[in-house]
Formats: sequence, structure tokens, C-alpha cells
Amino acid sequence: MKIIIDGKVCIAQKGEMLLQIAKRNNIFIPTLCHSEALPGPGSCRLCVVEIEDGGRKSIVASCIYPVRREIKVFTDSEKIKAIRKDLLMLLYARTPEDETINNLRKEYGVPDKIRFSGDKEEHCILCGLCVKACEEMGSNSISTIMRGVTKKVSTPYDEPSSSCIGCGSCAYVCPTDAIEMIERDGIRTIWNKDFELVKCEKCGKAFATKDQLEYNRKKLSENHLDVYCETCKRVITGEKLRDIYQP
Amino acid sequence: MNNTVYVCCGTGCLASNSMEVYKELKRFIEMYNVNAEVKTLIKATGCNGLCEKGPLVKIEPHNICYSKVKPEDAEEIVLKTLIESELIERLLIYDTIKKKRVISHKDTDFYKYQQKIALRNIGEIDPANINDYVERGGYLALEKILTEMTPEEVIAEIERSGLRGRGGGGFPTGLKWKQCDLIENFPKYVICNGDEGDPGAFMDRSIMEGDPNTIIEGMTICAYAIKSNTGFIYIRDEYSLALKNMRLAIKQAKERGFLGGNIMGSSFDFDIEIVRGGGAFVCGESTALMQSIEGNVGEPRAKYIHSVERGLWDKPTILNNVETWANIPKIIMKGSDWFNTIGTDNSKGTKVFSLVGKVKNTGLVEIPMGMTLRDLVFKVGGGTIGDKRFKAVQTGGPSGGCIPESLLDSPVDFDSLKKAGSMMGSGGIIVMDERTCMVDVARYYLNFLSEESCGKCVACREGIKRMLEILTDICNGNGTESDLDLLESLCHTVESASLCGLGKTAPNPVLTTLKYFRDEYLAHINEKRCPAGVCKNLTSFEIDKQKCTGCGVCAKNCPTSAITGEIKKPHIIDTSLCIKCGNCYDVCRFDAVKIAKGVSV
Ligand SMILES: Cc1cc2nc3c(=O)[nH]c(=O)nc-3n(C[C@H](O)[C@H](O)[C@H](O)COP(=O)(O)O)c2cc1C
Ligand code: SF4
Repeated sequence: MKIIIDGKVCIAQKGEMLLQIAKRNNIFIPTLCHSEALPGPGSCRLCVVEIEDGGRKSIVASCIYPVRREIKVFTDSEKIKAIRKDLLMLLYARTPEDETINNLRKEYGVPDKIRFSGDKEEHCILCGLCVKACEEMGSNSISTIMRGVTKKVSTPYDEPSSSCIGCGSCAYVCPTDAIEMIERDGIRTIWNKDFELVKCEKCGKAFATKDQLEYNRKKLSENHLDVYCETCKRVITGEKLRDIYQP
Repeated sequence: MNNTVYVCCGTGCLASNSMEVYKELKRFIEMYNVNAEVKTLIKATGCNGLCEKGPLVKIEPHNICYSKVKPEDAEEIVLKTLIESELIERLLIYDTIKKKRVISHKDTDFYKYQQKIALRNIGEIDPANINDYVERGGYLALEKILTEMTPEEVIAEIERSGLRGRGGGGFPTGLKWKQCDLIENFPKYVICNGDEGDPGAFMDRSIMEGDPNTIIEGMTICAYAIKSNTGFIYIRDEYSLALKNMRLAIKQAKERGFLGGNIMGSSFDFDIEIVRGGGAFVCGESTALMQSIEGNVGEPRAKYIHSVERGLWDKPTILNNVETWANIPKIIMKGSDWFNTIGTDNSKGTKVFSLVGKVKNTGLVEIPMGMTLRDLVFKVGGGTIGDKRFKAVQTGGPSGGCIPESLLDSPVDFDSLKKAGSMMGSGGIIVMDERTCMVDVARYYLNFLSEESCGKCVACREGIKRMLEILTDICNGNGTESDLDLLESLCHTVESASLCGLGKTAPNPVLTTLKYFRDEYLAHINEKRCPAGVCKNLTSFEIDKQKCTGCGVCAKNCPTSAITGEIKKPHIIDTSLCIKCGNCYDVCRFDAVKIAKGVSV
């Protein structure tokens, strides 16, 4: 199937997300809440584009819009630029000191001084990726609570969560580095809870928490797991393969 | 002749003590042994719609309707009306237009212009007794489709009727069913949306309370048409009477073989389960509602793939509103041609509204589509309270729009309301008079929406929050003209970039007031004056010495004793004591109280 994005003919699979197709064709659409590994929040709305489907125009979020017909897409029309500018102004008002948001808002021409003010300490844009990441890990320690303007991400009752394993997945996926994760003297602190860090047996880098390794061991029902960091694991696997195939 | 006494026991009447009235009537009928001559039966019925005049007691077949009946009136009703066949003048309804008391509620203008389809049984039957429903032709439509019609014929009939969804969007019901039928993926589900989150709306509640079987019958007809065996009715938790009556109706329908396995001896099975909702406004949105049934947080998802294809548990699902369901059995029985004769070209049939605000007759009304807003407000509603100057009518619930006097002659139908910048919504109609501030109205709705947005997407959550901030500033006297441009820009962004219907329609109250009542915004901004005398910082009340007759009514009604003066001499208001409630303005019969600019103290 063929679709036309900003005048360019692009090949698309039926059901494929519009953002995906644009990316493959080197057409840039800004996003904050999109992650290949955790698709679907559709919450930041920055990736909105205009589509024309059988003469009818509408505005859709490209990250979650599955293409099913031969449509025309406009990713950077005046209308879209105006919407993105407003969205970035709203995000800037919420997180005035955030670096990612500030870079983007400058790019879209949102001035320094705006009518609204916000909390200088705030960095969270409530995209929901952290909650999805935690769900994906299977520990379900954080969630969004309340609704409307009072919505926020938190652990149950704002207490240190018993199920949190300190893996930091939430912090890694956060587009604005809003989740505080501090590592000091072999201890990682996240969501008001301290975790003992474990060192890689090969390179000595502190790479995971004890709770996290324990969790993985149980999940895989193994008695023992080698304690290697991701990089070393890759190297070791490579060496094993070499030994087998190129002795 | 047999007399039947009906006592309305809808939520509105129950709140004004109708259960006591019911008990007392029963006691006196037994005490005076009315049965000896006149067989009298008392029934508890659902809502008659004229809630502000409740509790209502109807006596059939004489077609007598008493209003505002108190338990103390019961003995008199039994003695005079039931035994002596005399009317009790004092209890008859006063028709505000004819300016006289009328015997039957059906003689009032409030009822005369109405046409009941969805509400056909409400107030006429005992909802707790399925026999009452069956006696009035209930479940004949189900029998008809099971014995005479194929599923395709049922869908075609609903499609031809032109019925559009009554829950908000007005999507053609038949088309929805057809799209779902075309998908070969089973099981399929049928859902009734009884969330009714609009503040002040109670049309769906009244149907669930007063005629639960019509919903069951409607849903079962659909299930047969799209080949589904499982249905859900989603009811908000606060609706305890609706939950009770719905449960009872399901139980009775199963006992009678209208629901469950082998319905009416056919090989068709369909069962319905009730799901209780936590009551968030956004949970009425179709995809959020399905999330909620699945046990997840009620947050909407994008509808690029429709629920008819992938809905509840990713299976094809038909979701319709309570009132939509209530129309189905009647359409099947009387046919699509009949239904087509009611309403306008693109909006067939009737619509139930809850008519509230500064209007004389408030309550539930069902009118044919195409009636003008003017007739709805001034004929059915009887005009504004105290005949104050009409200002606007707000339709469509919290994210509807405000329609000004100049557009009052537009017909009430899906397309005309949309064209006016508002929407049908689920059917809330709020009448506003000169004492309503339109900036304050917009602020009020945005405040509601800012709390009720699920908060998932940036456009809706942050956009509504900042629009509310601007509106609050304007109401407090801190707005600037450039704020209006910013408001408009934000409206467009929220409207086009939000994920679900809540965000997409949230700007309506702002856009319509900006369009039709811009002068009020400008008065707040440039003159620091609230023309309606509502925004406290921008209002003060003054007494015009020339006009004041010194009657003293204002002083009597002032809660802070801020008004002083000798009888028959002009009075004055002490602004340091005045809390700007406006009572004096509302009660003065000589037009002597004036709304002025705010005074800084
Ligand atoms: C924020 C929001 C709230 C809604 N609330 C309700 C509701 O309380 N009841 C209802 O029937 N429809 C409600 N709707 C509309 C539903 O999403 C859906 O369109 C409707 O129930 C479909 O039924 P219908 O075609 O019979 O109207 C709401 C929509 C939105 C966006
Ligand atoms: S538009 Fe509002 S209510 Fe709807 S999904 Fe977005 S934040 Fe939630």
C-alpha cells in the first residue's frame, strides 16, 4: 500500500502506525511519549499530523494511528505547527526548568516569557511511560493516581513500595529525566527506597540492584544466575559462539 | 368502576416524601374500606417528569393528577375524590401559561407538546412488576423478531428508522449494528451505557428506574441481530434505585423466559450482567467505560479502530445509550415508516431532555426533534422564572455550548445544535436569564472538566487548566484583551489535539460564550464590570433614589443587614457590609436596585 507523506510516496503495511512509516522514510515528527519498546500511550500529542482520507481532513496522533487506506499526510502544516507550539507552551508552563521541554519549545518558537507560570521543580509531563515500563517489568509498583489536573505518578499511598525492585526502568524511559535516581556508596535510591547495588563479576561496574537480580532469578526459576552487566554478557556470549564455530 | 391510584416513586418524588404519601393512601383506602364500592389499587411508579411539582398522585381512569401531595392530604383524597368523586382544587397543578389549575397533568402545556416514545411507560407502570410492562405490549417486539424477522431484517429496520444514538454523538444506530455484524469475530458484546455523568441530568436514570424492561428488550433485540450472547449494563453507583429495579427486572425477565437460555422457546441465548461504575464523568465515554468493565482505570483510548470491530476485551462490541435502547422495541413494533414521520430530515424521533435552570417548569421532557428551542423554553418550560429577560440556553452537558436569544428559533436536532456551536449531548437543557454571567458560566464548566478529565493527554489536561486560569482571572477583574486571543488559540488546540470526546468538546462553553457574548467578556476586561452582577470583584449594588419607594423588601431580604432606610423613604446599601448576593436586585419590584461596577474597598 502507498501513502503520501508531505508529498513523498511511502510504502506502508496495512495496520502499521503512521509514525513508524514516517520514521522509516526519514520524515521527522517530534515525540515525547513514544518508545519503540512500550508503544501506545498517545498522551503527549506532539506527534499530531493532518491526514486527508477520501477528501476528509482530520488531525490524528501519528504514534497510534494505524494506516488502513491510501491517505495523504501533512506532518508540518501551519495548523500542525500552531498546535505543537501551543502544546509546547503548555508543557513549558508545567515544567518551566526542564531542559528537554525548553529545547523543544525554542525550536517551535515559544517565547521565554509566557502568560502562565509553573513549579520550577516539576519535570514530569505525565506521559505514562514509566508506569508502562514498570507494568512490563511485572512489578507494578507505580501508577498514575487521581485524574484531571491533580493527576500524578506515585507509589501506593506515596510510601516506599514493597514490590519495587529498584530496577530503574521507569527512570530510563522517562523522556524528561523527571524520576530521581541517586547512586552513592553502593546504594541506589529511587521512589524513597534504598537498594543495594551489585557489581558485575567481570568488569566490576555496579549495574543492578540485589532485589532486581533476585527477582529475575525467581522469574526464570533458576537456582543461580551469573552476575554480569549487559555489556559483559554480550561479550561473553560472543566469545562462547566464537569458541563453538571458530575453535 | 375500578379506580387506580398511582403514586410517583421516582427519585425526585421519593426525595419529597412520596413513599409516606403512598403508605398513607394505602392506610386510608383500607381504613375506609374503599374496596367495598370502588376497587382501588395503589402502584408505585417511575418518574412522571414534572419533578418540581412532586410528589404526584394520579387517579385513573378519571385522569386526575394531584401535585405536591403531602401525607396529610391522603385522607382527604380518599374521602373526597375516591368516595365522593370530587376534585380537590388546591392539589391540582397550576398551569403557568393558562394561569389556572388543570385537572389532568396532561392538560398542562408542559405535557401537551411532548410526545413519549422512550418514556412511554414511565409513570404508567410499576417498574417492579414485569406484568405491567407486558400488559402494555412489552416483549412483543422481541417475540416479533424471534418469530418473523431475520437478524439482517432487524438491522435493516433500525437503519431505515434513522435512529441516532441518544448518548451524545448521535451516531446512526442501525449503521453501528451493521458494521458490527459484518465483522466475523466472536464472541460479540452488547453494552448499555447508563453512566450518565452530566451533572443535573437524570433522563437515563428515570428510564432505568421506571421502565427497566424496555432496556432489556432493546438490548436483546440487538443481541439477536448481531449474534451476541452476553450483555452488560453499566450503571453508576449512586443510582441505587436504578440498580435495584434493573436487577429485579433482569431476574423477572429470566423467570418469564425473555432473557437467558432459549429465549421464548427459540434457540437464541442472551444474558445480561450489571456492572457498577465508580461515577467518574469520563467513564461514560465508550472506550473508558469498556476499560472500566475490564477492571482497568477508566481512561479512554484512541478510537481509530472502532469498538464495533475491537471493543470490550478487543471483541466486536455494540455500546448504546439507555435512551437509545428504550426506542428500539417501539421502532420494531410500529415500524421504521412510523418513526420516520417524527422529527426532522436528519434527526428522527424524539429526544428526552432534563429541563432545568431559570425556567418555570423543570423536569424531564420528551419532545419531537425539530421543535424550536423557543417552544421548548417558553411553551414546554413556561418561560423564565419571574419573567426575567432570557439570556441563553445551554445544551449538551458540561461540554455543550450556550445558545443566545437570536438563535432560539433553531430547531432542536443534532445538526442544528452543532451548527450553533453546541451539541445534543445526552440532553441537558439549562435556561439562563439576565442574572447569569456568561464568563462565569464558561469558568464553571471548565472547572468541572478540569477535575473530570482523565488527565491522560497534554492538550486536555494542561489546556483546560490554563483556560480555566484565564477565565478565573477575567472573572476576578485581572483579564486583558490579549487573553481572549490566547483563549481562542487554546480552544483550537484542545479541540483538535485531544484524544477523546471530553477534550475535543471541552472548549465549547468557551467558544460559544466568546462568540455570542463577547461584550460581556469585554465589560469584565475593559470596564471591570460584570453586567449580570455575579462576579463579586466586579459588582456592586446601588439603590436608585428616584425609583426607590421605600417599601423595605430589599432590607428584609438582605442576609447581612447592609440595607437601611426609613419606610417610604429611599433606602441605601452599606457597601462595606454588602456580600453582593444580589437578593435586593432580585426582589425589588420597582427596578430601583442597579448593578454597578465593583468598588474597591
Ligand atoms: C466525556 C464523555 C462522557 C460521556 N458520557 C456518556 C454517558 O454518561 N452516557 C452515554 O450514554 N454516553 C456518554 N458518552 C457518549 C459515549 O461515548 C457513546 O458515544 C454513547 O454512549 C454511544 O451510545 P449511542 O450511540 O446510543 O448514543 C460520553 C462521551 C464522552 C466523550
Ligand atoms: S481528552 Fe481528556 S479525558 Fe480524553 S483521554 Fe485526553 S485527557 Fe483523558
